[in-house]
Parts: sequence; C-alpha cells; structure tokens
Amino acid sequence: MVTLGFFIVLVVTVLVYWLLPRSPVRTGFLTLASLGWIAANDPLSAAVVLALAAYAYFMGNLIAARRTPLVHRLGVGGILAVLAFFKFAGLLDAAVADIGRFAGALPEFHLSHLLLPLGISYITFKYISYLTDIHWKLIAPGKFIDVLCYGSLFTIFAAGPIERYERFGPQLREAAPEFLVAYLDEGLYRIAFGLFKKLVIADWIGYFIDPVWRSPASYDPAIRLLALAGYSIQIYTDFAGYSDIAIGSSRCFGLTIMENFDWPYVQPNISMFWRHWHISLSDWLRDYVFFPLSRVSQRRVWLLGAVPLIAMGLCGLWHGTAWHFILWGLWHGAGIAALQWWRAFLRAHPGVRVVPTGWWTRTASALLTFTFVTAGWLWFRG
Amino acid sequence: MEEKLIAFIREEFLTDPSQDITPDTKLLSSGLVDSFSLVSLQAFIEKEFGKRIPAPRITVQSFDTVRQMVRVIGQF
Repeated sequence: MVTLGFFIVLVVTVLVYWLLPRSPVRTGFLTLASLGWIAANDPLSAAVVLALAAYAYFMGNLIAARRTPLVHRLGVGGILAVLAFFKFAGLLDAAVADIGRFAGALPEFHLSHLLLPLGISYITFKYISYLTDIHWKLIAPGKFIDVLCYGSLFTIFAAGPIERYERFGPQLREAAPEFLVAYLDEGLYRIAFGLFKKLVIADWIGYFIDPVWRSPASYDPAIRLLALAGYSIQIYTDFAGYSDIAIGSSRCFGLTIMENFDWPYVQPNISMFWRHWHISLSDWLRDYVFFPLSRVSQRRVWLLGAVPLIAMGLCGLWHGTAWHFILWGLWHGAGIAALQWWRAFLRAHPGVRVVPTGWWTRTASALLTFTFVTAGWLWFRG
Repeated sequence: MEEKLIAFIREEFLTDPSQDITPDTKLLSSGLVDSFSLVSLQAFIEKEFGKRIPAPRITVQSFDTVRQMVRVIGQF
C-alpha cells in the first residue's frame, strides 16, 4: 500500500471525486477507481470482490425478506467457502497433482496457481458482518453500488480496518455535499503520521533487528531478546502506520473509518490488550465468533476455556494457513482463558487478598502483558 | 431493571463485590468488567427481560454503564 502508485491514484481520485456532483455519482466513481486500482495490482482479486459483492447484495436482500436462520447460514457459508478455498488451495495442491498424475490423461493442474487474492481475508469478513447484521436487524440491505464500494474501497482494501457497513453505508448516502479543507487537513496529517510510524520507526527497527532474526545463533541471548522486543515494536508501528494511512486516505474523501489501534502495549492485561490491538478484527471476532460460540453451552469449561482458545485459534488461522499462526492464536487464547479463570477464582474466593491497585501495579501489569504479547510474536514470526 | 442489572454485575463480574456501582459507573472502559465476560450479561438480559441484544450493540460505547444498558435494551 505504501507505494508511489497508491499515492498517485489517491491524489487523482480525490481531485476528481470532489469535482463530481454529490452521491451516488461520487460513490460510483470511487468504486470504479477502487476496482481499477485492485485490478491493476491483482486482476483475480477484482473479479473476486465483484462476485462477492453481487453475492452479498443478493443474499442480504434474501435474508431481509425471509428472516430465517437457514438463509443467513447459507449466505455466510457461501462466503466462508470462498475464503476457505483460497486459503487452503495451496495445501490441496499436492493432492490434486497426485490425482492428476494418477488419471494420466488429465493435464496437470496446480491449485496454487490460483494465488491468494489480495485482501481476501478482509473482503470476506466485511461481507460476513454485512449479512449477519442484516439477519440481526441492525441494518437494512444496501444498494448494490454501496455494497460494492464497501468491499472494494481501495484505501482500506488490502490491510483494513475491517469497517462495518452500519457505519460505512450511511456515510455514502449522507456524504457531505461540499468539499471541506478540514478533510484534507485531517487526512494528510494522519497519512504523514502513518508514514512516520512505518518508514521511520518500523523500517529502521527492521534494519537493526533483521540480521539477528536471520541468524540468531550468531548473537548473544541478550541481543536476541532485544531483537524480539524490537520486533514487537516494529510490528506494531508497521501495522498501526498502515492503519493511519488507510484512515487518513479515506478521510480525504470525507469518510470516517474506525480506529484500529489505541495504545495496546500499555494495557494491564491480555483482554484489554485485544480491546486496543487490531480493534476492527478483535471486535469482529468478539461479535461474530466469541458471542455466538458462547451460546452453544453455559458450561464453565466451554465458556472460560474452549471459547477463547477456538476464537483466538481462528484469529491465528485468519492471519495465515500455517501452524505457527494457529499456535500464536492459541497462545493468546490461553492467556485470555487464564485471565478468565483467575477472575472467576477471585469472585469465588472473596477472602483471597490481592495486591492493592496503584501506579506501580498498573505499570507491572502493563509490563507483564507486553512480555506475554512479545513472547507470542515468536510463534507469529515462525 | 437498573437494580437487577447492578445486582447481577456485582455478583457475577466484580472481584470485589463490596465495590459501589451506580447507574453511571463506567464498567467496560474502566476495566471493572471484562468485555469477554459480557456473554453472560447478554444471556442474563435474554433470560430476565426476554430481549436478545446482538453482540455489535454490546460495546464500550453503547454498553459502558447500566444506564446505557437500559437504553439499549429498550431499543429491542
């Protein structure tokens, strides 16, 4: 996303957008420009977002008309099938090649040639929330152009935030009719801030720590620990920088996109960390995985143990189809489960003395949480 | 409704049950109540008041105080 091409497209699109009469012409132009940008980077992704938008539009109207759990499940199941197909296509590759060789006459076909479309994880999660929110009667189905714009908006396409249609759709309909300098002022400031985080902090940390990560055996344990802590800061500033650029770029069109990070490394426990880290993803998981899973059973072992592990394991899988991502998710799931059990224990034993809350306990808690999260990055980086 | 919610929150969520809670006490943003614990609050509201509140409405912005909870419950 941080390419010269992106910023050229952004400047040209912003200029034309504000010269056009108000919505829906502006929305149509923004959608076309977004599809053009996506197609230039990955034609398959443009085709996928078009198909998924048409599917979500159709299923959204069907869910609103029928209001049955079955139609909702069919709608979400279809999107999940697309996500699973692209995510696991590479893993099935060897099996399909073997079958091809066995059949002999068949031409050899590699599923992995269907590369993972750009932004597929984000598009699918956005459309699942769209269909589910219609099913829960939180929103009404949108017009096709709005639904397509929601899935394809190039400023948030590749790396989020995973905005909700409930906030996004009305902005397209009620978009400010007049251009305001404040939009550019706020947007450009945010972009500059994001570029600073990404290019100055994250990339420079990477310059120092990458050699240690490449050949850790050549360095002292203390240097390796520093490189791990450095990676913790690097991944935060890199991703938060991307989010700033995405939010700032969207602001140039007068759009307000949800925040994605809010001082995650100073939070006192792992639950609070996830409320401040990749907020759009953690909110999504909470609303569409954690809560529904929790309704399956009221048993303590399920609610306090299994649900956090499953939800965070899926969070890891969403980041990539590799065991180290799943282990990273399970690490966090185990942390959340441990916190839940500890709180349940304290509630059940009111006589147990805990350390009184003060600035130093809060600092120690934040340091402990940072250490836990940083250790988890070992799994994540693989 | 406020009294029932306060009694449930004090009983189920607080590690110090003697802590004072008013309808305007900030529960989520202050960290008194863990957002992951809210599933049992959702189940309690459904059982006690017959209202199923969708998860996207149970947020720090809309569900932080008992007064806000009552307002949201009234919308369903």
